Amino acid sequence: MEGAKGAASKDGNQGKEVGAGNNEKFLNPTPMLDELEKGPWPSFISGFKELAERTEKPMLRGVMDQLEYSYNTKMGYWKGGLVTVDGYGAGIITRYSMIKDKFPEAAEFHTMRIQPAPGLHYNTKMLRELCDIWEKYGSGLIALHGQTGDIMLQGIEQDKVQACFDELNQAGWDLGGAGAGMRTAVSCIGPGRCEQACYDNLKVHLDMLRHFVGPLHRPEWNYKIKLKFSGCPNDCTNAIMRSDLAVIGTWKDAIQVEPEEVTAWVEERGMDALVNEVINLCPTRAISLREGQMQIESRDCVRCMHCLNVMPKALSPGKERGISLLMGGKNTLKVGVNMGSMIVPFMKMESDEDIAAFIEMVEGIIDWWDDNGLDHERIGETIERVGLKLFLEGVGMEANINMVTRPRDNPYFKAKY
Amino acid sequence: MAIEVNGVSVETDENGYLVNLEDWTEDVAKILAVGEEIEMTEEHWNLVKFLRGYYDEYQIAPAVKVLTKAIANENGMDKKAASEFLYGLFPKGPGLQACKIAGLPKPTGCV
Amino acid sequence: MSTPEKKWKTVESGPHTYEDALHPVVRKNYGKWKYHEIPKPGVLKHVAESGDAIYTVRAGTPRQDTVDMLRRLCDVADKYSDGYLRFTVRNNVEFLTPNKENVDLMIRELEEMGLPVGGTGMCVSSVSHTQGWLHCDIPATDASGVVKSMMDTVYAEFKDMQMPNKVRLSTSCCSINCGGQADIAVVVKHTRPPRINHDHLSMICELPKAVARCPVAAIRPTVINGKRTLMVDEEKCICCGACFGACPAMEINHPEHSKFAIWVGGKNSNARSKPSTMSIVAHNLPNNPPRWPEVTEVIGKILTAYKEGGRPWERIGEWINRIGWKRFFEETGLTFDEDMIDSYRHARTTFNQSAHVRF
Repeated sequence: MEGAKGAASKDGNQGKEVGAGNNEKFLNPTPMLDELEKGPWPSFISGFKELAERTEKPMLRGVMDQLEYSYNTKMGYWKGGLVTVDGYGAGIITRYSMIKDKFPEAAEFHTMRIQPAPGLHYNTKMLRELCDIWEKYGSGLIALHGQTGDIMLQGIEQDKVQACFDELNQAGWDLGGAGAGMRTAVSCIGPGRCEQACYDNLKVHLDMLRHFVGPLHRPEWNYKIKLKFSGCPNDCTNAIMRSDLAVIGTWKDAIQVEPEEVTAWVEERGMDALVNEVINLCPTRAISLREGQMQIESRDCVRCMHCLNVMPKALSPGKERGISLLMGGKNTLKVGVNMGSMIVPFMKMESDEDIAAFIEMVEGIIDWWDDNGLDHERIGETIERVGLKLFLEGVGMEANINMVTRPRDNPYFKAKY
Repeated sequence: MAIEVNGVSVETDENGYLVNLEDWTEDVAKILAVGEEIEMTEEHWNLVKFLRGYYDEYQIAPAVKVLTKAIANENGMDKKAASEFLYGLFPKGPGLQACKIAGLPKPTGCV
Repeated sequence: MSTPEKKWKTVESGPHTYEDALHPVVRKNYGKWKYHEIPKPGVLKHVAESGDAIYTVRAGTPRQDTVDMLRRLCDVADKYSDGYLRFTVRNNVEFLTPNKENVDLMIRELEEMGLPVGGTGMCVSSVSHTQGWLHCDIPATDASGVVKSMMDTVYAEFKDMQMPNKVRLSTSCCSINCGGQADIAVVVKHTRPPRINHDHLSMICELPKAVARCPVAAIRPTVINGKRTLMVDEEKCICCGACFGACPAMEINHPEHSKFAIWVGGKNSNARSKPSTMSIVAHNLPNNPPRWPEVTEVIGKILTAYKEGGRPWERIGEWINRIGWKRFFEETGLTFDEDMIDSYRHARTTFNQSAHVRF
């Protein structure tokens, strides 16, 4: 907004020498792409150029040329194909140039999806090792991270894929998901740093994805299944919208209150802030003032997180913690956006047995969908088509009022009586 | 690209799939299998025949799910065993190798 | 094709392990954090029950990174955060250190590298986006370029915390919208039915699959020049592009007719209001590389109005719920038109089924 005025004129190359004397450059001129080196935000084009000039990998030059061409013609020129590694049916996203006659150096530009550690944590040893292996076999381009949650190693040729994978695998990395199977999962930082994390999402993520490693590498379901693990209902992984199975931390008992910290907050921010920013914004009016003191009526609380977000020092989630499972989140293709909806309001997630029971439940859910879903139908679409009631019967779950916003508003159903 | 079968050149795409599906013969399949480093056994041929029969009837390659189910039924296996059996025959996956050898179109898309 | 004798037997290990990737202070206080504060933009301070504190410095990245850039990030981590770093779902990089004195040193070094420190609290955070012309097989534009152009214009808002609440952005190169629901989203909108490449179709597409993919049953099999192919009922077609993913011969992308639409009010968090999906507020914007000025201009209008009128903690969708769509269009200077009235499934749930009116 404000920055917009100055942006175009500001030199954003941030100390890198670009543009001086093109004579000895490895890359061909890319005047359109060069426009994206201007402005203050870090430029991916500057990064690509730096890498290409240092490594002189022909693929990088070809891809830059094709991208420049796309910027001129306003069309894309990659087509899919199939490349895999031994024993796997998925994990490599194959790209062949449709215009390789023009840009032979861009003929192949496949991506390897790699599963990062839950929570996207790295140490420099593992990240440097990843970079070294990738530079040895591939282009050196990496997207951190793809919308799938994968590390995207972008740009490798088919004949190098197996050797690259073997070396990555030896270093502890495995391919991510693609196609009609289990997909790479995503977790927020969880108990690694966040005081609001209500379960160990990193551990559940790791255990769950290891359990489903077969269907991740050898997809054979109706369509994809995505899992995301958020530590609390702030849902920093966007699980409700972006995953078929959204595992969201929550709690059952009362919000924990530190009265001195509440007082300190009010002293610092004022009574107006308490009323306007906390009490008035509670979606279920669960908070009130009694003789100047903040009172939370737990039975009215829906665990939305707002008051905890505003007063992190004074308020924290209750002690009886666990997860909610919501199901059916997916984006537009093709029936329209679908938000996940509540299926399991609460489940404890503390011991290994809790986690094992949860994984078993998820397995049952996926089995039901695998038997009842149609080709290219996500689990939320299957449930909408057959009805939530049939799903509950199928997986042996009891109906629960938390699954709906209200009872039905039409009388058309077949009752058992 | 092209492969040579009994002295005749058969056109393939850059992944080795047939460009013209009507070019398929058992001899073509044998040459395609060599390219995939697969030694065709009776079990391989059964699967190839199943794929071709399915494609003839529905004009689409069967979903992997359909394939594993058929294998499971035929051999009295569970789904997991059927999947292992399938990847035992075609290590780089049924979509890539079995469809190619059976002369079916290349599976499309990543979404 | 033949490979040398394979020495390594694949271990299907799944996600990489995380324990070795956690800073020792994180490992020690795992699950025992007490509270956090934001001492200044781009910096978080988390305090554990043990009394330990860890500082996080957060910086924006281009997302399309290189090994060179990641090695530089590793250098920063080795120097200032004991060799540990992580990334957020918004493509920001984070360095965690228990040493307070490293915070400013790190900020200086990151800024010198050209990486803006920020992305915390009430800011405009970086964009979740798709692959585009660089790598996707069905894109109508290049998300990375749109994102770079957009972030240049909200650079100050990324680095500061002056918005009513956080603003999350997304960008997608087709109507599938892999970028996701966001406070403000930039999504390609196709405006013409697919053009069919009959010469290629029967060779590269499975006909029944493409027919089944259409949400409005507008695709039918036909025969042209003796070849089995498909036809589109252009009256029925809603230009969604779903068929293109199944059948590359259904060419939906067009240099002029693939446009941009701007959507607002998506929210994933459960805080206050329930999660919400986005509404369209501008469309027919040109796909105009390399800087897409028409797109960034609309984003600027929305952000300016929201910054001005939003109350503390109101996300964009919540702000609009309070002031109403009428005032949203007035204050942003955008124009409501008949194409913004939903005509798809569940359309009536977006009609005003009440006598509530705003004048």
